[in-house]
Amino acid sequence: MQTDVLPEGPIRSLIRHCGFTLLFVMAAFVPTLLLQRLFPYPFLFLFFGAVMASAWFGGTAAGLFAVLLSTVLVEYFFVPPFYSFSISTTAEAYFAAFVACALAASWVSSAKKKSEVALKEALDQLEVRVSERTAELMKTQTELAHLSQVLSMGELTSSIAHEINQPLTAVVTHGHACIEWLSASPPNLEKTRQTVERIIQDGTRAGAVLSRIRALVKKEAPAKTWLDVNEVIHELTTFLRDEAVRRGIAIRTDLVPGLPKVKADRVQLQQVLLNLMMNGMDAMAETTNFPKELLISARANEADVMVRVEDTGVGLNAETAEKVFQPFFTTKPHGIGMGLSISRSIVEAHEGRLWATPRSSGGAIFEFTLPVRPRDSDG
Amino acid sequence: MADARPTIFVVDDDASVRDAISNLLEAVGLRAKLFASTEEFWKAPRPNGPSCLVLDVRLPGVSGLEFQEQLAKANLSIPIIFITAHGDVPMTSRAMKAGAIEFLMKPFQKEDLLAAVHHGLDRDRIRREEQAEVSILQSRVEQLTSREREVMDLVVTGLINKQIGAQLGLSEVTVKIHRSRVMQKMEAASLADLVRMSDKLKPRPRR
Repeated sequence: MQTDVLPEGPIRSLIRHCGFTLLFVMAAFVPTLLLQRLFPYPFLFLFFGAVMASAWFGGTAAGLFAVLLSTVLVEYFFVPPFYSFSISTTAEAYFAAFVACALAASWVSSAKKKSEVALKEALDQLEVRVSERTAELMKTQTELAHLSQVLSMGELTSSIAHEINQPLTAVVTHGHACIEWLSASPPNLEKTRQTVERIIQDGTRAGAVLSRIRALVKKEAPAKTWLDVNEVIHELTTFLRDEAVRRGIAIRTDLVPGLPKVKADRVQLQQVLLNLMMNGMDAMAETTNFPKELLISARANEADVMVRVEDTGVGLNAETAEKVFQPFFTTKPHGIGMGLSISRSIVEAHEGRLWATPRSSGGAIFEFTLPVRPRDSDG
Repeated sequence: MADARPTIFVVDDDASVRDAISNLLEAVGLRAKLFASTEEFWKAPRPNGPSCLVLDVRLPGVSGLEFQEQLAKANLSIPIIFITAHGDVPMTSRAMKAGAIEFLMKPFQKEDLLAAVHHGLDRDRIRREEQAEVSILQSRVEQLTSREREVMDLVVTGLINKQIGAQLGLSEVTVKIHRSRVMQKMEAASLADLVRMSDKLKPRPRR
């Protein structure tokens, strides 16, 4: 009883095991004594049970102790001549067989117990190792997810540069204007003041762009909070707007207001969305016969929020619709083929689903769900 | 015409850049009209007077370069100054070949923008003057009879009255009369003047 050895000294344990053994043997002895009146032959099988039980719970020593006790009791009470320690010659073989059987029972039982314990230990160890490996895997996955996030941000470099360059341009131009207002005679202080205010606004805006980017590539342990999916979608569409313009793509959103919040990690959710949106835009690189359009919609189902990213790009067929989620599957010349695979595992870690379907009039649809906790348990 | 204030049209989808350009232009005494998109520009009335267009290359919907083509097709020859965050060489050369005044990288310096704007306005002014002259000449030509027009066409090729008479089946005297009427109606001081006018009228000035 490995797990039962709580703070308990070896002496106490010994006494406890002896007590159990006595109890088991008495439990065998009393019925046997009663049964002896009904059967002509001593009914000794119950002692084997006592021996086995003692060996099981107390180990080999307790088993042997039970054998000893049983032997003494049987010899005195149930081996002719009864109520004496002497043995009649006819009963010798019978008695010897009893002792041998009792020893065998004790051995079998304690051996079985030992292997059982060993098995349990092995299982425990295995469990520990499995959970260690799982933790390692999760960590690797998080790192990989972060890497892929950084990679997709890399693809957006020119877009990011533009986002920062715009307010910077405004700052520089206002700066020039400021000098002009000041060099007028008399200096136009009201205009100067207004201009400096604009400079502050634009500088602040550039800073906000930077912190938004930093938030997207920030490396931190996943932490689930209650999120408004619409808000996350809005952030990303703002972020990707310029990139889309550059690629001649129109981003449209169709968001049902007041969606229930979902419990999710913001960065990971952003990552899934960013990945799906970037994929959609990449898929439309060759599109000529349709208007290039990326539609992001979100709506609430009974138990979850469903987000859908539609593009009018090259599209997929029923076969590739599942293949795209396999690791290292890619159709892009410089892709590593991890984006969708990571996205799916992120969504699944949030107890949601991510799947792809061909769009009927060309292009692809990617949809994912995130479960919504019932309202009453929402603290 | 001379008292018409120049206007600088600014098309950029970024409000803060738009505002900043307008602020700078205002500070140097120029009037700016701002548009967030090319559609807005089309819809807005364009004041009569020298103007030029400061155009962002990257716009939602129609790009700046495409807009340049559209303007050319619509025969709206307004000088264009492109502004962009990252213009590559092919983009720049395409814009310049299509007649852009300048291709400025954001953030640009005041001197560069103002020089380009003034250059654009000057070019537009010249074009407007030429156009005004052409329209005056055209109204004069319209006063000519068809015979006078025939005579004028041959006079400017350098033919003498005798040759013209032979070609049109007229007497030299009649040609002479037509010729002096042409000179009078066209308000031409000399033959050289008339030739210059005819040159202006012939090829549509395209810039």
